[in-house]
Amino acid sequence: MASFKPTKVQVYPKLGEKVTQDTLYWKNYKAPLHIKEFGAITNIDFSPVAPHNFAVTAFTRIHIYGPFSQEPVKSFTRFKDTAYCGRFRSDGQLLVAGCEDSVVRLFDVSGKVALRMFKGHTKAVHVADFISDRYQILTGSDDYTCRLWDLPNATELNTYQEHTDYIRCGVASKLNRDLFITGSYDHTLKLFDARVDKSVMTMDHGQPVESLLLYPSEGLLVSAGGRNVKVWDLLKGGQPLVSLKNHHKTVTSLCLSSSGQRLLSASLDRHVKVYNTTNYKVVHNFDYAASILSLALAPDDESIVVGMTNSILSVKHRKSLEDSKEISGQQRRRPLYRVFVKGKNHVPKQDDYLVSKPVKQHLAKYDKQLKKFNVTKALDTALETWTRHRKPEITVAVMKELDRRGTLKNALAGRDEQALARLLNFLIGNVVDPRFAPVLVTAAEMILDIYRSVIGQSPVVDRQLLRLQELLEKEIDYQQDLLEVMGMLDTMFASSFPRMEVPCPGISRANGLAGGDGITSRPQIQAT
Amino acid sequence: MLCFQEGPQRKKRKSEAVQEEKADLLAMGTAAGSVLIYSTAKGALHCTLDGGHSGGVNCVQWHPEDGLLYSGSDDTNIVEWDLQTGKARSKWKADRAAVTSLSVSPDGKLLLSAGQIIKMWDLDTKEVYRKFTGHSSAVTTLRFATTRPPDSNGLYFLSGAAHERLLSVWQVRQDGKDKNSVVSFTLTDEPQHIDLVQSNNKEEAVRLAVVCKDGQLHLFEHFLNGPCKKPLSPSCSVQMSDTKDSPVPIPLLAAALTADKLSVQLAYGNHLQPVMERVEINTAERHICLTRDVQTSLSLTMETSISKVKTPIVNNKSKVLVPGLPGHQAPVKGTSEKRKKDTDTKEISIVERLGEIDLSKVPSEKGAPKGTASLQTDNFAVLLVQGLESNDASILNKVFQTRKEMVIKKTVARLPLPAVLPLVEELTKRLQGHPFTAVLMVRWLKAVLMHHTSYLASLPDLVTQLGVLYHMIESRVKMFHKLTKLHGKLYLLMTQVATSDSSNTVTEVDHTAKLVYEEESSDEDEASGDEALRDDEDSDNWEEDEVLEEKMEEEQVDKEEGDPDIRRDSKENGEEDMEHGNESEEE
Repeated sequence: MASFKPTKVQVYPKLGEKVTQDTLYWKNYKAPLHIKEFGAITNIDFSPVAPHNFAVTAFTRIHIYGPFSQEPVKSFTRFKDTAYCGRFRSDGQLLVAGCEDSVVRLFDVSGKVALRMFKGHTKAVHVADFISDRYQILTGSDDYTCRLWDLPNATELNTYQEHTDYIRCGVASKLNRDLFITGSYDHTLKLFDARVDKSVMTMDHGQPVESLLLYPSEGLLVSAGGRNVKVWDLLKGGQPLVSLKNHHKTVTSLCLSSSGQRLLSASLDRHVKVYNTTNYKVVHNFDYAASILSLALAPDDESIVVGMTNSILSVKHRKSLEDSKEISGQQRRRPLYRVFVKGKNHVPKQDDYLVSKPVKQHLAKYDKQLKKFNVTKALDTALETWTRHRKPEITVAVMKELDRRGTLKNALAGRDEQALARLLNFLIGNVVDPRFAPVLVTAAEMILDIYRSVIGQSPVVDRQLLRLQELLEKEIDYQQDLLEVMGMLDTMFASSFPRMEVPCPGISRANGLAGGDGITSRPQIQAT
Repeated sequence: MLCFQEGPQRKKRKSEAVQEEKADLLAMGTAAGSVLIYSTAKGALHCTLDGGHSGGVNCVQWHPEDGLLYSGSDDTNIVEWDLQTGKARSKWKADRAAVTSLSVSPDGKLLLSAGQIIKMWDLDTKEVYRKFTGHSSAVTTLRFATTRPPDSNGLYFLSGAAHERLLSVWQVRQDGKDKNSVVSFTLTDEPQHIDLVQSNNKEEAVRLAVVCKDGQLHLFEHFLNGPCKKPLSPSCSVQMSDTKDSPVPIPLLAAALTADKLSVQLAYGNHLQPVMERVEINTAERHICLTRDVQTSLSLTMETSISKVKTPIVNNKSKVLVPGLPGHQAPVKGTSEKRKKDTDTKEISIVERLGEIDLSKVPSEKGAPKGTASLQTDNFAVLLVQGLESNDASILNKVFQTRKEMVIKKTVARLPLPAVLPLVEELTKRLQGHPFTAVLMVRWLKAVLMHHTSYLASLPDLVTQLGVLYHMIESRVKMFHKLTKLHGKLYLLMTQVATSDSSNTVTEVDHTAKLVYEEESSDEDEASGDEALRDDEDSDNWEEDEVLEEKMEEEQVDKEEGDPDIRRDSKENGEEDMEHGNESEEE
């Protein structure tokens, strides 16, 4: 009775992309929301205070969107020309923006008219940011200068004229009120100290710098320019740490995930790449419809906002926990885990008499049939639609077991047109899979033997047999090609190991002629 | 001049071609500053109006009555041309910025001009009559909407600007207090072409057809009588798509309203090969989608060939100023042009600096190849490298789906060495798939091994690099022997079936008798055909008998009819048999 052994289903390694924690995390977003703006979206900035509105700079406007709104909750339109770089202050009350007409404007988030206008630059201002003391701003312009301004009386505090080309990105330190970094099209990044009136560190990126990002710890700096993303160690005096080249067009925007564990880069090649910040490997990849100019992540990664050249703003919200809760709610119907483990950790006392209960063996449906020697039914259950499509290895394992028992022929025989068609369908789907081929080829041969007499009577079966034949023809051609490739590889391996010159050519010939036998012997010799 | 403003200029010509008012004369403004008058009757150039402008001509307008022509230009001037003499009659500065649009009032007394500010000129005195502000970018469209005199509070005109998704309607008021637009029409994108039927009195509505940049047509109908706060949405929107399974929108290019209210003249398809059609439109519906079958293949290839030739020239002249954006078109044209002007006038060093910037790569990629074949492979190599670098599945699929042996070989040959190993890895991944696609991958792999043998052999860790590939192939070809055998078996069976099928068709009489073995009556029937009529109660039998009889008489014709019936019969029998056998086995 207890001697029945359930069919052993072999576990095969899964093909295709590996599903990692990261893929799950970054795929856990809803379908994107598309909002059409008035022009290319050059900058997106999230407000540091709840409810984390975000400012979208596009063409001559800055729109402020709420976290879940589709319509802007607020818009600033008092620009004479294209606006750039609308950024929030750390308290979320003020917004600063540069403009093509060289005037920097400061807005109250609740107001409409500019509170202050900073005039002094002679060309378009692409960079504007608040210094961490909240009363100064930093601007960088196409006139090669970057300037510090005082907020209360709108005067210029200092001008730095060290760059030799357009300044297109810059960030102020969040921890130190005197430090800020600018990146320019002259390929350099410069770290300025307001106390000494000049740059204290210069790093060469090698390409026009498009975007800068400081780590929260501010020990590391990330710069993007050309196709490269580079990480610099500021504490070691601006030493390059890593250079990443994973895009095929200019990288335009950088951003860190809320945990600081992942770095995101967006590029004109329509991709957003997610890097692990410990080993700087790409762990995930998003695809968008057009070239990306700006990218921002909401706090806690609640949403990913991307601005593109075709003036579409794409907002992806994280799937809320409720969705996943619903699933767990369904599972709740079952008895608690506690019920199953009740009394399991009870330690028997010395004079207790232990009665061991035989563990009940749960058998799968096909195993039940196998146990009853209903071979046809066992195969039928294994061929049920779900198993057939999702777990072909089970079907194959049952076939293998039947073959071992010598009853596969019986199980395959005696099928009507429909069942035979289903069987053939399964064969067509899986016979070329190298994992299943040994079993399925035997099965296919048996089917041909059994049903030889009725071939040509059913158009359905005939068509499938023709398909199978076609498939086999292709597969054989393919394998012939592969054998040729193996021959090439053998020669190459041989030439790279001059000492093995004598055995290798012989083996490669064996491979080419006798297929299986030669191949199995091959690795052994290679290992010697 | 020709090199970089060719594109916009061509568009301009088209738009001007519509506003031809002198039955056979067509005025075209050029980027060089001259105005060409083309006679459609002669089919040749009539005359050239020179010497008026120093900048490119943005717009031309005929005067409704006299032989006068107005042109507005980048040099901020408006010139009035006399066609009789072919000379400029007067010229005046209209704006601080370029004049981008003009419109003459229906009575010929007023002229509207616009850069960013719209100005209304009295044509007798050439003085500003009114000013209208409100657009933040260059105004591209100006049209008078009514034909009433200016001092009756009834003169309206409409304007549309670049990058704005609405058309504004302005009222020319008697008291001169016309600050803001009175009505606005909402659109889905920037207006590209508009046509309207002017209203002559208050009781008549203005009908308006606007084609937007996204290829949609919007129809409006509105009574212009004072301000209306809410923006008006179209009374009807028209889109067009093709007839394929997954429909692709066909852009509408222009639309003209006709005298009867039901139909509209449409131009759609490609700019190079537009299709004109008169369409009846049911305006009761808010949204209409028309389906048309448009062959765009010819015009598309022409377009690519043009862009292929043009792009490098653009780069050489360094007119693209957004760094790193060579491949796609930047939508914010206005700003980039503005910056262009600044930099051109003030700094010459921009040329060198742009040379330094990433663009330097592009001309070498696109400029070098000339033949079509090499062009394609070159693009493929670049695409492949890009796809491998950014791991872009769509690009890789596109490249790997090539079937042409030559293209594969050339692409692989042009592949830079650092991309070889990633390519091999990618191929290894794809080799595991279905043989139909994997066959293509093997070709790539072979090409790689062939072209980069020495490089691969020189790798110190060759075995570890290619080990995965080798093992994959090994496990796949293990079954080669058995599969071939199976294939042979199947081949034999299928050919037999095929031959038996064909033999069926040749010899039939005794064959049919064999298969209908259960029904003894049919045998009898065959023997004596006349008796069959007696077995009328069994309809099946009767039918079959009839068939058989007919066969006796006309053998060739009815074979096909008879065969399937019989085959079905026999199959059923076979199944019964099998089921029977099934039961016994399970016991």
